[in-house]
Amino acid sequence: MSLSNEINYRVNTTIGKAALRAVRWQAERQASNRWKTDYLAPQLKIAPRTKELIGRHYLEGQYANANAHRKVAWATSGAPTEFLKAMDFYVLYPENHAAVCGTARRVEDISTEAENVGYSRDICSYARTDIGAMLSGKTPVGKLPKPDLLLACTNICQTVLLWYRVLAHHFNVPLIIIDTPFIYTETTDYAVAYVKRQMEEAVPIAEKVAGKKFDEKKFREITRLSKTASELWSQVMERGKHRPAPISVFDQFIQMAPIVEMRGEAYTVDFYADMLKEIDERIARGVGSVKEERKRLLWDNLPIWYRLRYLAEFLAERGVAIVASTYTNAWAELAPMFDPQNPFESGARTYLHPILNRGTGYKLETMKRMVKEFALDGAILHNDRSCKPYSIGQIDQRDRLLRDADGRGVPALLLEADHNDPRAFSEEQAATRLAAFVEMLE
Amino acid sequence: MSTLALPRRSEIIRAHQAHGGRIAAVLPIHYPRALLRAFDILPVEVWGPPRIDPSPGAAHLQPYVCSLVRNALAFLLAGELDVADVVIVPHTCDSLQGFASILVDFIQPKQPVLPIYLPRGNRPSDLEFLANEFRALYRALAAITHCTPADAELLASNAREEHADDLLAELHRRRNELAMTQLELYRLIRSREYLPAEMFIEIVGATLHGYSAQGDHPGSPRQNVPIILSGIVPEPMVIFDALAEMRAVVIADDLASCGRRLYPRGTSADPFVRMAERILNAPPDSTRGGAIPERLEHLARLVATTNAKGIVFYDVKFCEPELFYLPTLRQGLQARHIPSTVIEFDLNDAFSQQARTRVEAFIEMLG
Repeated sequence: MSLSNEINYRVNTTIGKAALRAVRWQAERQASNRWKTDYLAPQLKIAPRTKELIGRHYLEGQYANANAHRKVAWATSGAPTEFLKAMDFYVLYPENHAAVCGTARRVEDISTEAENVGYSRDICSYARTDIGAMLSGKTPVGKLPKPDLLLACTNICQTVLLWYRVLAHHFNVPLIIIDTPFIYTETTDYAVAYVKRQMEEAVPIAEKVAGKKFDEKKFREITRLSKTASELWSQVMERGKHRPAPISVFDQFIQMAPIVEMRGEAYTVDFYADMLKEIDERIARGVGSVKEERKRLLWDNLPIWYRLRYLAEFLAERGVAIVASTYTNAWAELAPMFDPQNPFESGARTYLHPILNRGTGYKLETMKRMVKEFALDGAILHNDRSCKPYSIGQIDQRDRLLRDADGRGVPALLLEADHNDPRAFSEEQAATRLAAFVEMLE
Repeated sequence: MSTLALPRRSEIIRAHQAHGGRIAAVLPIHYPRALLRAFDILPVEVWGPPRIDPSPGAAHLQPYVCSLVRNALAFLLAGELDVADVVIVPHTCDSLQGFASILVDFIQPKQPVLPIYLPRGNRPSDLEFLANEFRALYRALAAITHCTPADAELLASNAREEHADDLLAELHRRRNELAMTQLELYRLIRSREYLPAEMFIEIVGATLHGYSAQGDHPGSPRQNVPIILSGIVPEPMVIFDALAEMRAVVIADDLASCGRRLYPRGTSADPFVRMAERILNAPPDSTRGGAIPERLEHLARLVATTNAKGIVFYDVKFCEPELFYLPTLRQGLQARHIPSTVIEFDLNDAFSQQARTRVEAFIEMLG
């Protein structure tokens, strides 16, 4: 690394972090409410800190290639990245970046760059967005670092492998595949052994790229931090059982960024511990995320990133709080499986079991459990054109929810959209369907 | 030129059942035929089928799921797979994963549904896993049939399938010598989807023997524009007649249902490992997550060895595994001066005039 690169990296990241901190302080002082409706409680006080964390993460990324001491890995959101962090990789999650593009409403522009070279609009809109960003350099986060290594884990879909094949070809860097056999009913010992072996065999590949030896002690510590953060995140979501719910799923969608892309970091643990305190304060003061909470719903599938505010406000104005989600729960429900003393074996088991790697019946049971535990009045199943593994099965799941959840039907709506591409979303149609659904709940 | 008289699926199924054998309905793409046959289970593949009423499938699957999967479900719900004693669903893509999962959890057909997970690599760990997956399938089949074939029987079954696949490869290689239409050739190739290996060996052996060194014929590349057909499945099969009318000939293919299943012989003495080896060492396939350079090299090699003039990517709409590779493959081919075009189809559509015009323009450009 040249001296000028080193100086460039240090100066920019130091100044950038200071600027982000200043922005956070200012936002905390102003305590602004981002909602356009009075039916929603003011945003969480911790929200500016979330923004700062995300900003710092992408700031580090912007200059990561200039830091010769640290290599860059791009990884799928469900990948076991703890072993990479033990070698001090800067880990970027393209899915998160795509979601950032979604909330910034930049997807149409960026994904067109991919479509123009032949990527079909029938493939996942996250992938199209990131491939478009890769090809054009367009991004709302300044600049993405080039990867030195790619890590694709198939526990969320097979799509990610196909997508990472494209990335590997474009960047001409090694691709580590952690293949996680889909669990139709229950897993097998040989599937766990298979995943464990792949994780162990990935270590020397990553070591070679990082130019560093794998530190097993550090790996155990990072696994412990991942576990603790996941447990805290789980508790955050559990608080949704209170009535009124102190935090909505829309809050969760925003606040989940650290658990996805900053797992295994001490500051992520601190962040969720503080968030939990704030939520408990809300509970003590009887503050609900939706001020006049009358009905409580479940959200299934990914968010509709480009319409979060619209949906939150639309539902709040009708007294509807969405308080539980199978999606945000995915980063929490596996917390008990992590065992820092046995990180490879437990990691294999943990990363085999995300909801997306399990059968449609398991997802239905999860929904039924949430309906009961969170005392929900209904469910919205986002029929997400871009996520086949999450969406296939929803027609039957809705049918079962309607007719056989503990002997009483649970109203359930299939809402057609796409998690990132606004061109697949009809606001008028969604509004009509949501309004009718809410009316039916009354 | 001769019209091949291939036995129909229904005849084969009845004959197999008549002697006490069982039937497996097998979804695409890769699975251990030898293992099923060792249990006297005849695999009969379900590629859709095309041109059926897909509406029963729509009660369970979204419209953005490919027609191959939707039709398969509609076919099953219409009772057309009732003849099968077991349904085998290889984990080929997210859609077939969902298909198998809703069968297991919700639809619960009368037959047992046995999914198989296919690893997305070709590392020693993948081989070990796949062999274990086949051992698990063995146990499941043993529970259904109350049979426990010994290793020797499994190896004998392997040998028979390897012999059939050798002949299938020879059929692909020597297609130019055969005085049959493209449609007949592909019907013969695709008869591997339901014929028992021994019958396939007999028919293809006779065909290769009978038709060797015939010289020029209507399907000869000397009179037609040779092309490669890539994709999942060549449906509707009339595409071959349409190509013939355009004076084009499929000189080789990269179809998941055909050329990507030219399984090499295995080497292991362990029957399960041997079955796994054969699948993992097959030509690169999008559904097994093959690396782009491997697929590109494979296509370029097919073009080079056959003197094909171009490639037609003929893909089922909504097929993500295929769609992801297309832009990069086409760029790579273009860099090698290999022209290509893309046609998307739905299994329930006829070969449309629009598709015909596009292919025609492409062939004219090649000619």
